[in-house]
Amino acid sequence: MRAVIGDYTIRVERRADLRWWHTTLASVLAIVVSLFLVGFAFLRVGADPLEVYSEIVKYAFLSEFGLPQTINRATFVLLAAFALIVPLRAGLWNIGMPGQIYAATLAAFGVAYAFGAKRSVNVQLPGELIIPLMFLAALAAGAVYGAIAGFLRGRFQVNEIVTTMMLNWAMLWIVAHMIREGGPFMGRTAEGEGFTLPTSLRLPQILGVPLTVYIALALAVLLTWFLAKTTLGYRIRTYGESPRAAEYAGIDATRISTLVFALGGLLAGLAGYHYFAAVPGVFKIPKNYADFGDFSFYGLITGLIARNNPIAAIPVAVLFGGVSGGARFMQGKLRLAFGIDYALLGVLMIMMVAFQALAHYSVRVERQAAVPRPQLELERGESRVESPRH
Amino acid sequence: MSSLLVISLAAAAVFAIAALGELLEQRAGILNVGLEGVMLLSGTFGFIAAKTSGSYLQGFTVALLTGALVGLLHGFFSITLGSNQVVNGMAIWILGFGLTTYIGYPYTGPLGLKPFPTVAGLPMFFLVALALAIAIWFLLFKTHLGLKLRSVGENPSVAEASGISVTGLRYLAAILAGMLVGLGGAVYSLVYNPVWNYNYLQGWGFIALALVFFSLWNPFLVVAGAVFFGILWQLSLYPELLFPNVFSRYIWRAMPFVITIVVFIVLSTRWFRLRWGATKPEALGLAYQREN
Repeated sequence: MRAVIGDYTIRVERRADLRWWHTTLASVLAIVVSLFLVGFAFLRVGADPLEVYSEIVKYAFLSEFGLPQTINRATFVLLAAFALIVPLRAGLWNIGMPGQIYAATLAAFGVAYAFGAKRSVNVQLPGELIIPLMFLAALAAGAVYGAIAGFLRGRFQVNEIVTTMMLNWAMLWIVAHMIREGGPFMGRTAEGEGFTLPTSLRLPQILGVPLTVYIALALAVLLTWFLAKTTLGYRIRTYGESPRAAEYAGIDATRISTLVFALGGLLAGLAGYHYFAAVPGVFKIPKNYADFGDFSFYGLITGLIARNNPIAAIPVAVLFGGVSGGARFMQGKLRLAFGIDYALLGVLMIMMVAFQALAHYSVRVERQAAVPRPQLELERGESRVESPRH
Repeated sequence: MSSLLVISLAAAAVFAIAALGELLEQRAGILNVGLEGVMLLSGTFGFIAAKTSGSYLQGFTVALLTGALVGLLHGFFSITLGSNQVVNGMAIWILGFGLTTYIGYPYTGPLGLKPFPTVAGLPMFFLVALALAIAIWFLLFKTHLGLKLRSVGENPSVAEASGISVTGLRYLAAILAGMLVGLGGAVYSLVYNPVWNYNYLQGWGFIALALVFFSLWNPFLVVAGAVFFGILWQLSLYPELLFPNVFSRYIWRAMPFVITIVVFIVLSTRWFRLRWGATKPEALGLAYQREN
């Protein structure tokens, strides 16, 4: 496409090759523009957006209370992003993080419940035995719940986007059944909440953050290695590039899609265990658990912005963990309506897609080379009348 | 029992209208997996307009306009920028979910208008859905424009070579589809269940999307599927009618989602998958770049 304005020509062309800095710049621009747009919500209630953002940063990254919260939220987002990334490497979409998170949380609390954890917060139970069991039960439940969608996709070609969404809603209500109106996991005092995990069953902390944070960081490296260097990772990527070619190469579609979804579900399950059974101050299935489930959709955009790279997802997750938590904090302070962090999520998502698409185009502004204007010159010997020599 | 049927048809209208919109654009080769987002945006803005103005007409107008705009946006990403259509659809869905959660929250609660009128005891929008199915069938299979739309969805370069503007027709399809999907969303939030809540749509947009896949891109099968799901959902919302005191009410709320998945599995026979592959618009979800 070309537009000419005065002496300048603006040329928009599709890039033949997309370099890494193009996409990085696109992601950064998407984040900046989104924060700018959401700033209007603050402006509407008479607050200065710049001030609000500096307060968000101060709260989320510099304050004693906000920083651990940011780390814990970021870990949740990061694990949810992994749950998207692994299936997406095989070209499949896992948007079933909420369902897998709830399934894992129910399993973890189920183990605690089986050992009589509901009796009292102070009940003494052998944590060194039960905590690993809870952890493994969470991973297994997430994996199994995730694998359903993968198996159906591989075996029956049922669209995985639709299935995972249905599974989310089904699990949402199953959790409600478990914690509300006399359900087995209902807390002893509070209506509509799960029981609180006894102190003896809480995951130990290192340097003020739960162990799961370190596990998530280690997983970023492990996943990168797994996807890039192992045979299985290679098969997953081959299937993602072209399912048909993969099938000719002897890669079983059902097995691959079940596997990637089981892995995705496992990672989402870890996110569920992390937030509900390991983060200080929570240690139960809260009343607004649905809200946390939907918060895992930040993992979706984190995975997309990081372009399926588990390590690149870390800084993105930290940013979103902080900004979303800080926005919640400011929302309370400025008496904004509920959901400013979701508004940011929506705007981010659309901006990310727009800028990633625009990264494929190059815009060049060229100054028009001064094209010599054709001058009216009389050819020699042409004029017959005026010449005095005649 | 007859009132159950009526409310089922009202639910069916939501599924049918949204799915018919999606069918129209998929026939032209555009895949929008973000129906949920379009329906949330149109449904919420329509709800706010109707609630503040007290008029259904304004509500539906706003919903249609919103749908058209979102369709245009999705079209711009998918047609002009030519980026991955599944990602675009996801973005539309998350945008709808995020924005409506924030914007709609102050309007939480019932609409507060008198119930939408019915025609001869039947929900009006079910009749609209039937009329739309006939109209879309006629458009796609009996008119010249429909032939062009379908050719754009099957083989855009051949269509372009025979003098059809692929870009223009795809934009037309995307905008029309956005309006229909948006209308579906407004039927949910203004007629079927006129109460605004956090994430009130419960994944119905995704069910409508699945309906299009399972209809083999046939408008009449879309309506039939919509009626089936409408009845299914109402039965599971009023389980006492069939199975009193079997499960807690929360388990019954989970049931329609589980049954939806089971239905999809049962439908996905080998025979169906072969037919599916044969009828699928060849260029569905693929961007088209004109050669200069």
